[in-house]
Amino acid sequence: MSTATETTRSLAARQKSPSTWAIAARKFRKNRLAMAGLSFILLIVILSFLAPVIATQDITRVHFDQVEKKPSVEHWLGTDNNGRDVLTRLIHGGRISLTIGFSCVALVILIGTLIGAVSGYYGGKIDGLLMRFTDFVLLFPFLPFIIVINAIFIGKISGVWSLIIVISLLGWPGTARLVRGKVLAEKENEYILAAVSIGTKPYKIILKHLLPNVLSVVIVQASLLLAAFIVAETALTFLGFGVPQNIPSWGNMLSEARNSNVLRNKPWMWVPPATVITLTLLSINFMGEGLKDAFNPKSSR
Amino acid sequence: MIPILFLLSVVVFALAKAMPGDALSGEIDPTKTDPQYIAEMRERLGYNDPIYIQYIRWLTGFIQGDFGKSFKYKMPVSDLIKERIPNTLFLGVCSLVITYILAFAMGIYSGKHPYTIGDNAIATFNYIALAIPIYVAAIVSIYFFSFKLGWFPSTGSVDIGLEKGTLDYWISRFHHVLLPALVLGAFNTASYTQFLRNDIMDNSRKDFVRTARAKGTSEKAIYNRHILRNSIIPIVTFLGFDIGSILGGAIITETIFTYPGIGQLFLNSLNFRDYAVFMAITMMISFMALLGNLIADLLYGVVDPRIRLE
Repeated sequence: MSTATETTRSLAARQKSPSTWAIAARKFRKNRLAMAGLSFILLIVILSFLAPVIATQDITRVHFDQVEKKPSVEHWLGTDNNGRDVLTRLIHGGRISLTIGFSCVALVILIGTLIGAVSGYYGGKIDGLLMRFTDFVLLFPFLPFIIVINAIFIGKISGVWSLIIVISLLGWPGTARLVRGKVLAEKENEYILAAVSIGTKPYKIILKHLLPNVLSVVIVQASLLLAAFIVAETALTFLGFGVPQNIPSWGNMLSEARNSNVLRNKPWMWVPPATVITLTLLSINFMGEGLKDAFNPKSSR
Repeated sequence: MIPILFLLSVVVFALAKAMPGDALSGEIDPTKTDPQYIAEMRERLGYNDPIYIQYIRWLTGFIQGDFGKSFKYKMPVSDLIKERIPNTLFLGVCSLVITYILAFAMGIYSGKHPYTIGDNAIATFNYIALAIPIYVAAIVSIYFFSFKLGWFPSTGSVDIGLEKGTLDYWISRFHHVLLPALVLGAFNTASYTQFLRNDIMDNSRKDFVRTARAKGTSEKAIYNRHILRNSIIPIVTFLGFDIGSILGGAIITETIFTYPGIGQLFLNSLNFRDYAVFMAITMMISFMALLGNLIADLLYGVVDPRIRLE
């Protein structure tokens, strides 16, 4: 009798059921669209961050003898109004656009998770106060406010960073609400009560017990935010309120299309950034859907 | 709502004051104009008063409907906004109608025939439309429909020289608004379609549908009368948020199409440091967002009596 229970126990120990992460990773790997999206993003990221090595042409120098050249063997995607190689700028632009996207996501996730977790865990007055504040920030029209605050900062902090800070300052409320909701539901579980009863400090409960359990939601949210912030950066720069003109970014390259002569007659200047932006966003969305699906225990694929 | 509006006015005023430069530094060439004159103008406009006095002056004027005077356009801000609002509303309403028609057609089809080729095609379209940023959609559509095909004008809101109120005038306006409205409307259908599709699928499995089938109701009547009525409920509440973002939601589109609306005026006011215009528009956009939330809450109660009872 005792040997029987022992064998079942040892069997159970040997055949450990896969963790949430292992299940999610397996589901994600099986999702072809999501994997394609992930591969494309990785490709873009690697290319962009290797920009100084692989695209060595000087992107700041103006070549008057090579202005507005059509795509050729020498310049694969042609040259722009100042004789700069479009492909080189595209790669360098990706570095700026992606840096802004990823930095904003990191900051927003940090702020949003902090406020959401504190608000959800403590509840009561702290929750009321923080959520009022969140609702208030959520009320600001996103694009107009970013434009305005960026106009205030732009002289004081270098262009790219001012945009990152401003987008992050206005972008966190959605994440905070989401995390708060999840924490509220999660903290009712017995293991939290157990942790409280043995005198675990609040910050330890939040960091070690609550956050790991809301992490899957945060990861999915991060992928959605990445797409949203890349759109925000490129849109603002396109309008002339984002990254300064002298720094190449996808939005800056696309903004050449605001000149109707360029738009009408020189599509090689704006089609590449438009295509790359769209493909990147599509890939991020595919990846986000894949992540959502992978972490959803109800989906059984 | 009033205290929130008050707080908002403080934020907007603070932002305007924190921006570098004022209307005078943007407008007047300092090499040509007497610096003493500029100083005098600043004094007369009250730019040297303490901040809180300036704020109270602006707020009291604002509540009474006096939004100040635009420096760039040399006219009262309220007149300027009155001139632009119809354009933006026209564009907003047209794009909303397009969104709703498309989303309803696609959502109903997808909900009725889930997991078919048509459903997948609709899902693919929505996926791609969701990923394409509005400015990319706008410049590509200008390139094809305005420049290559010549179907639509690419700028303005009406042909010059047409008399107001005539039929030609309205046709021209509609012609001008159609392309931006299509760009704004057709690329915004994803969430509505998805919502409607899932709701129709959920509802079609419910008991009242089985009952209706059992008593021999035609399939068409089941979908159009029984299911659709229930599935419209969540969509209707979207309308509140849509109304809230009508004014501020078209900034990019208006700028690309050089469509003379509120969004374009807003960006111009920022470029020229035209603070009176900028503050008035920011307040209006925020107010509309607040109003939209309120309408959404009220609509919940209207379409779903269960919420009203609580």
